[in-house]
Amino acid sequence: MVKNLKLKSARAAKDMSQKDIAEAVGVTRQTINAIENGDYNPSIKLCISICKVLGRSLNEIFWEEDND
Amino acid sequence: MIKSDKNGLDEMQKAIRNKIGNQSFMLVSYLLLLDIGLYGFGVRWLAYPVNVMVIIIVCMSIYLARIIAHNSYLPPQSQKSKPIVWLALIIIFAVILAIAVAMFYGKLAFLQTVNNSDNSAIILFIVSLIGLVIALIVTVIKRNDNK
Repeated sequence: MVKNLKLKSARAAKDMSQKDIAEAVGVTRQTINAIENGDYNPSIKLCISICKVLGRSLNEIFWEEDND
Repeated sequence: MIKSDKNGLDEMQKAIRNKIGNQSFMLVSYLLLLDIGLYGFGVRWLAYPVNVMVIIIVCMSIYLARIIAHNSYLPPQSQKSKPIVWLALIIIFAVILAIAVAMFYGKLAFLQTVNNSDNSAIILFIVSLIGLVIALIVTVIKRNDNK
């Protein structure tokens, strides 16, 4: 899986660490790290929680444009 | 906040734990089959109940070490606290209790009838101790990695 740089940039824009987001959504820091690195595919429930914390939409954080 | 289930693990922790649990179950199955095969060929590496116990304890230790290494042992809420002192106290208390019980009941007659030539208890003790040491090392490494 590709890295989720949108999540990383949105997090940096809000000046939040992985730990801050993890505590806000109730998961471990390692889970957020795995999502950012593309090692874990989160559920839609977790995606929504992350988007709410970051104040962004699902499209802005998790939608991947086709390069074809 | 994400609603957690009764054991409080987040979704990735549960997925990892399920994966490791399935692999450990398969490992137990393969090792027991191997043991049966060796028994069929006449190889007796340990007496009957102990060989099964050793296989189970080894696999449980591997399972425990792996879920600790993959950060799937404690839920997110518990990781904020520092239970090291409590853990150390519990371990010390358990060791003292075990020694006291062994000293108290060790003099009773029914325990003295046990065949002392069998070294199964020592083997089980060593295997358990090694498992604990591995789990402790993994925990320390993981703690250092998270700093």
